[in-house]
Amino acid sequence: MNCEKCQELIGDLVDGGLSRKDQSTLGLHLEECFACADVRNDLQSIVAFCRSHRGEYSAPPDADGLWLRIRNVIEAEAQPTAKSAPTSPAPSFWSGWLSRSWELSMPQLAASAAAIVLVVSLGTTVALRRWDHSRGMGPVASSPRSEAATRVRDRMWQQEQAINYWNQRVETNKVRWNQGMRDTFERNLKVIDQAVNDSLNELNRDPHDEVSEEMLNAALNEKLALLREFSDL
Amino acid sequence: MTAAETETQPVTDYGLTQRAAQGDMGAFEELYQRHNRRVYSLCLRMTGNVSEAEDLAQEVFIQLFRKIGSFRGESAFTTWLHRLTVNQVLMHFRKRGVKMEQTTEDGETPIQIVKGTENPNAMPVVDRIALDKAISQLPPGYRTVFTLHDIEGHEHEEIARMLGCSVGTSKSQLHKARMKLRGLLRQQKTKE
Repeated sequence: MNCEKCQELIGDLVDGGLSRKDQSTLGLHLEECFACADVRNDLQSIVAFCRSHRGEYSAPPDADGLWLRIRNVIEAEAQPTAKSAPTSPAPSFWSGWLSRSWELSMPQLAASAAAIVLVVSLGTTVALRRWDHSRGMGPVASSPRSEAATRVRDRMWQQEQAINYWNQRVETNKVRWNQGMRDTFERNLKVIDQAVNDSLNELNRDPHDEVSEEMLNAALNEKLALLREFSDL
Repeated sequence: MTAAETETQPVTDYGLTQRAAQGDMGAFEELYQRHNRRVYSLCLRMTGNVSEAEDLAQEVFIQLFRKIGSFRGESAFTTWLHRLTVNQVLMHFRKRGVKMEQTTEDGETPIQIVKGTENPNAMPVVDRIALDKAISQLPPGYRTVFTLHDIEGHEHEEIARMLGCSVGTSKSQLHKARMKLRGLLRQQKTKE
């Protein structure tokens, strides 16, 4: 055995994944070759040190400060919803609606009637489609695997609708961009699409993989944010 | 179990995630106190940079808060958080355009020891500080595989899945990482 072959096998030797035959051949070489024996000893001590210290963690330099920053971001994200809450009890929708005096002109009445017809027909179409879809899925739809896949598909569909909208706006504005801006956009988009594909591959393997589901969601949201940002440029 | 004993039982991670999902910041802070070291250490070992690791740990916990309602307790919380952290760091590497395949760092040829050129000094005794310093000097691709395999204890199959590479690549990156680390540790000793 030469040194090149020996060093290929040292990793497996250190990890304990070497066959008996290879072990004995390697052992013979290591008895003769001090350089390779040195490599073996060094790698063994590095790996042994790492294994014996597994589970030991070092604290962040300023754990309290880090927590404050995290809390600030979380609270800042929660602010808009808190601000939008009414400060004093407002009259309820129904009481306002009922107490209102209804004096509509003919065109207003006609428009209201048309709006009601439109809403009812849309609602019926959506309900019928869902019914057809659930009938078409049959017993497979009730399995947990397909439920998880359906959940991911539904969420993706919703996000893709928004992505398509912003993508159209980006495409309109793209002609005004310079080459540098185009490259930046394409580079970022490529990275995000890569993350989306990785997560989808993981989810195809295991539809119950919560982390991949969340990573997919995060990647799609990031794509949305990128498109929004560039649609203004 | 008595009522008093039940009261003194620490709340499980899953219990805390449920409360945090309802907006209980106290429960989320408890989760942070329990796991910030684990998250930060992993970020630090994978990036080799203190401020980057702090920023990433911050991002991991913010993501955790956003996603905590989706944790259904099917896996251990630590496993879930670990994968969330690894994915966050890998996403960070992708954004930064870090090449995970460090084929040009040392070339594709295996690192060999030529007789006679070996440093005659014995390998220094490995200690935490020296090792952390050496790990931080590894190229990102090597550092990631070394951290995931030798420090975190993942199998090559898992690493290959996480990084989107083959098992063979993971093994070869690990071998190169160990050899590079050995060289760095020896260099440190020579400088002392």
